[in-house]
Amino acid sequence: MNLLGKWHPGFWKRKLQAAPGRDVHFEAAPASGLDDLQMRLNQWSDLWGQDADPAIRTAAQELVAERLTRWIERCFGQHVESSLRGKGRPISLASSTPIFTAFLGRRATRELSRRVLQDI
Amino acid sequence: MPRLVRWIWIVLALHLTLGMIAYAHFLVTGQYTVLGLYFSALGTPFFLVMTSTECCVAIICRSWFDSDEPMRLAWGMIACAALARLAGVLLRAVSDGHLPWGGWRHFSLPPGSLFANLSQLALVIGGPLSMAFLAVGLSQVLRIQRRFRLVGSLTRGDKTLLFLVVAFSISQLAINLPLLAKYPSLGTILLWMSDPLLSILLIEAILVRRSVIRMGQGLVAKCWGMFVLAIVITSIGDAAIWADNHGFLSSSMTALSWYIWFVAAAAFASAPAYQLAAISLTRGENLHLLEKQ
Repeated sequence: MNLLGKWHPGFWKRKLQAAPGRDVHFEAAPASGLDDLQMRLNQWSDLWGQDADPAIRTAAQELVAERLTRWIERCFGQHVESSLRGKGRPISLASSTPIFTAFLGRRATRELSRRVLQDI
Repeated sequence: MPRLVRWIWIVLALHLTLGMIAYAHFLVTGQYTVLGLYFSALGTPFFLVMTSTECCVAIICRSWFDSDEPMRLAWGMIACAALARLAGVLLRAVSDGHLPWGGWRHFSLPPGSLFANLSQLALVIGGPLSMAFLAVGLSQVLRIQRRFRLVGSLTRGDKTLLFLVVAFSISQLAINLPLLAKYPSLGTILLWMSDPLLSILLIEAILVRRSVIRMGQGLVAKCWGMFVLAIVITSIGDAAIWADNHGFLSSSMTALSWYIWFVAAAAFASAPAYQLAAISLTRGENLHLLEKQ
């Protein structure tokens, strides 16, 4: 087998072409599944984002903000939380994740996010 | 307080209690026998335990960051600094014959080598080399802190301290540089770098302290606060050596100043322990720390 031939771009071009006569047919997902997915994505977006109007915050958003505040205070200190609140907006995953990732690492932040979102 | 940090400070307290008994004996009798026995039999194992704890915990902290995360480099450098300090303590113990399983005195460097003796090599590894690693690590931390606007502006007191530190370093270099004409060993020249490196560390410590004040009393803030404390104590120890060399300290004060290094070692070991406590908190360990607020 010519191993050096594999370095030639043409080899990969040929490989990447779809095989003739083997069309893939995608089954349409049930509408209820898509609705469920959309609902979950919207919920996640609400919890993640920081542009939510403080006046119309849900109980879940309140809980996430409260838990994040406790984590920030314990990990960094009481003054960091206020600096992360932008223009009076409540603290959110979007605003706090960068600092957690920088100082605790990506893996620890993932664990932390799991704990914050537990039972929500 | 995290369990490991508590353990470190309890060991230090017990160690210093025994040390104070030895010091009291020295004050009463004026003899160095018990004091010497304390520093050789208990002091060396204490340093070994503290530096190996610091090194192991710093390596664990580093492993929690992925290769593309900037804090990995910082913790890598801190782990290297701890490893250099541990190697320095081990080499010093070997050269002084202070290891409990002793009989290592016969090891010596070949004539004409770059270092005057094994003890000097130990001082270089545990001193300037370790400081250089720590300086690189802390500069990386400061870069990250600056990105989050955590580094505050310096106060007048900070600026005065910085001026004094820089002035002291320059004066030391001015004293040492003419001695180059006498062809000192590489080890001696490297040891001259201790003061400038300690000055850099102090400058970094002052900046890190500003950020710690801006953060508050969290575990990560305490981690960097412990590094600041350790560097400040190291500087006090260094100043005590300088004062002793110039005859400014009495023999009782000199003996007392030797205890400073134990506190510095405990502070250095506590710093990564705080970081590890913050990481383990996210894994569901030490959750009591989250409750107590």
